Amino acid sequence: MKAKIIIVAMMICLVPFSHALSQDNKTIEGEINLTGVWIDVNGEEGGEAKATEYRDLREDGGLYGRARFKLDTDKYFLNFEAGDFGYHTQYYQIDGGMWGKFQLNLFYNEIPHNITFDARSLFFKPGEDTLTGAVNTNFGTWNTFDYEILRRQYGGGFKVDVIRPFFFDVSFARENRNGIKPIGAAETSPGGRAFELPEPVDYVTNNLVVSAGYARKPLFLSLNYFYSDFKNDNVALNVPANFSATVPRAISLPPDNTYHGGTVKGALSLPFNSRISTNVGYSSGSSETPIVARMLPAPSAYSGKSDTLNCDVALTTNPLRFLDAKIYYKYYKRDNKSDDPTGVVNTFLDYKVITYGGELGLRLPQKFYLSGGYKYVWTDRDDEGETDPLLLPPANMDNNFFVDLKWSGLDFLEARAGYERLDRDVHYRSPQSAADPRRQFSYAAQKRDTVKAMLDIFPLENLNFGLEYRFKNTDYTDTTYGLKSEQGHEVEASADYSLGKIAKLYAYGNFGWVKYNQLETAGSGLTGDWRATQWDENWGYGIGAEIYVIPKKLTLVFQHDYMKSDGAVDYTLPPSLFVAGTGLAGANNSNIDIGRWDDYTLYSFMIKAVYNISKHFEASLGYAFETFSYNDAQLDNYRFAPVGPPNSNAAFLSGAYKDQSYTEHLVFTGITYKF
Amino acid sequence: MKKRGLVFLSMFFVLSFVFIAQNNAQNSVKGGSGLVGSEVCKDCHEAQYNKFMGTIHGKKAIPGSPANKAACESCHGPGDQHVEKGGGRGVAIFAFSKKESSTDRDAKCLACHTESRGLPFWDLSRHQSAQTTCDNCHSVHSPAQGKNYLKAQEPDLCFSCHKNIMTQTNKQSHHPIREGKINCSSCHNTMGTSYNGKAMIKADSVNELCYKCHAEKKGPYAFEHPPVEEDCLLCHAVHGSNHSRLLTRRVPLLCQSCHDSGSHPTRPYTDLHSFTGTATQNKNRFFGRSCLNCHGNIHGSSLRAGFDR
Repeated sequence: MKAKIIIVAMMICLVPFSHALSQDNKTIEGEINLTGVWIDVNGEEGGEAKATEYRDLREDGGLYGRARFKLDTDKYFLNFEAGDFGYHTQYYQIDGGMWGKFQLNLFYNEIPHNITFDARSLFFKPGEDTLTGAVNTNFGTWNTFDYEILRRQYGGGFKVDVIRPFFFDVSFARENRNGIKPIGAAETSPGGRAFELPEPVDYVTNNLVVSAGYARKPLFLSLNYFYSDFKNDNVALNVPANFSATVPRAISLPPDNTYHGGTVKGALSLPFNSRISTNVGYSSGSSETPIVARMLPAPSAYSGKSDTLNCDVALTTNPLRFLDAKIYYKYYKRDNKSDDPTGVVNTFLDYKVITYGGELGLRLPQKFYLSGGYKYVWTDRDDEGETDPLLLPPANMDNNFFVDLKWSGLDFLEARAGYERLDRDVHYRSPQSAADPRRQFSYAAQKRDTVKAMLDIFPLENLNFGLEYRFKNTDYTDTTYGLKSEQGHEVEASADYSLGKIAKLYAYGNFGWVKYNQLETAGSGLTGDWRATQWDENWGYGIGAEIYVIPKKLTLVFQHDYMKSDGAVDYTLPPSLFVAGTGLAGANNSNIDIGRWDDYTLYSFMIKAVYNISKHFEASLGYAFETFSYNDAQLDNYRFAPVGPPNSNAAFLSGAYKDQSYTEHLVFTGITYKF
Repeated sequence: MKKRGLVFLSMFFVLSFVFIAQNNAQNSVKGGSGLVGSEVCKDCHEAQYNKFMGTIHGKKAIPGSPANKAACESCHGPGDQHVEKGGGRGVAIFAFSKKESSTDRDAKCLACHTESRGLPFWDLSRHQSAQTTCDNCHSVHSPAQGKNYLKAQEPDLCFSCHKNIMTQTNKQSHHPIREGKINCSSCHNTMGTSYNGKAMIKADSVNELCYKCHAEKKGPYAFEHPPVEEDCLLCHAVHGSNHSRLLTRRVPLLCQSCHDSGSHPTRPYTDLHSFTGTATQNKNRFFGRSCLNCHGNIHGSSLRAGFDR
């Protein structure tokens, strides 16, 4: 219904432009395309959703339309673009106006996100905020539903240029988001059965932005106001009494929130080819959570309030042709002013980040460009109300350095190399937290080195090669227990070649490898340290060609892509942890490693023929094949209702992300009319 | 000591002089000072002229457009010497070729576009500091995409330099970038932002950027998960990941990188804790969605700390 309203509004917007059609010097161009698609997806429930994750191709096939229209005169312009009419990927956008005077636009867009089809719910009424029914392990009788989210976005904007050098912009966007996504809850904690439940998603978000300003050398100044509100139709997901051994439960859902704020942005040109820029902004937000009787413990009310303040200023200068320099400063603060929910001991995070630094760039002889810089970042945190000295969040002091060298001394080659260093220091708030050997990686002291090198070669005007390499090493220097190090390599290569009127060819390849090293202590009730070394490795390549079989008449398009990922974890446990408390009694270090963690192979190819029937008509016919093979230690051999005892082995799951492998065949044929 | 300082200072001035002289030599103005008018340009470059007239630069209705100034010569410089010498690519004319410095090429565009509302912070753009020029991405005469006169459509245009980002968006978990539902400029201001931020994001902080599409994560929640309020990137790889939900690492090890106190967060969860594994307890902390099987509201909760176990 809303799509229809938007389309009608767009049509009405066209009326003022009817005058443009009577103009003498006008250009009208566009195209209309109709494509028939036949699709066959072989896969389980998760696979069908994965194959169409952001697409609406669920049925056997369909007819897809696309249209584009452009009107251009000396005074007016109008652009219209739309596609996938009637599908959950449909989009419509129109913008038009008078050159140099004003511009308006309207848009409507849908974005689906399919997670898993035919998931199962232990309880009745999936998608509603109150689930009913009783616990049972016969998952064959459970209700089926789809984990999918659909975003419907629409809005418009207006820009005024006629008052130049002043300007005025206003834009509004609204999004309705509906669907179901998975949410987890435990019967009791710790040690209880796990429940994976359908969380209803019924959100509405409104965003309004108004800007007014002045832009004429040497000054740019803009005043901006924004307003955003988010509404969730569901306060909580209510779960039946027999979910828990004690009382009915409510699982909280995202609360409504409202934000508004303003910014002042400015830039002023100065002598010596210099410029000073600034941005000062303040925003204030609030969220409200109504009283939910079944919340545990029951708060009487909660009112959230959070303010942010941002001030930044930068000075850039290019006083000499061989010298670029900039210095900058930024202050960002988040102040959580929320009230404690009545009767609940709670903490609220405030933080501020102060950043300052400088950069220098030198144009050297032989077309070398050397740049370097230093940045200091101080992050200060205060978890208001936190009384546990071990949990007081620390402050971080980051020292960042970088140096880059670029060489473009040859017409056919460009090379670049760079190095970055991060030294993060930590200031702990209490002697207890400073002495604690456990560290959170988000706050922990670290030394990070990043090296990158790039090479672009273009020996001929129609031939390009590119090669990139990156190495990153992070050592968490002060961490005894926690994430201790990360190391990664990335290589990317690409090439493209254009053979005049014969063909266009391209290829790319990539490789990535990352390793994480983690040491943990077994915690209360057990003794001993265990180590996990996690790897992620991925590589891929692609080749493609456009072959002009009959120049300007018949073109063959071919594309093939391949991507593979391999994840693994190597665990090393002391004998003291092969006990019942970990569930690993009787196991040993040779049979606990994880060999398949988000392992997947994506293989696809597409071939298409495009035939220009006449100046106005073009036909196409193609076939695409894609296969995705997925293996994972946590999702393979999926069970909806794994049972205990003990209860820590039991769960009522809904199938989220299960069986994501698929094979897809797609045949398409289309006709395009161009004018 | 004084002597050494003097020598150093002298060397600095000598080097500065050499650099300035060399740069000035490189900057010797191409073309003369006499305008020939665009009709003369049209005689030899009719195709380019016609394309130019069809673009926004050819619109006389726009005050300050090249059409209202010196047309072709607004950007390419005076053409008298170019004509006198019989033409030719780059002969006494500014041709936007690689032989001309990035600063000079940008200066031609910025002469007008500094006054545009979209380009006040180009000096702070990482593209500028990486010596990327306007004509690396934009083509005035033959754009592949009408809007913004881009040489190719997003994200392909961006991927031609940012190859590692292309690799990331090809991973199994990704934002709908390659599906065309969002693009690079949805989040990044390629023309620079007021702050010298590396990623040139369209917000004052990473979280404020993410909240534009994920408003439900904004809160403030009654019970917060502190790192979440501070930086989404601690757990999410926004361009793409091998792990579902764009996670940087797989749960439970991601969670255990911070949560290593108490009992069950510190236990090792191994292959034997999978659905068919032989572990005798704690399996529901590993199989399925692991920690998220119980801790559903990981971004914050209105109910209680522990995120709705």
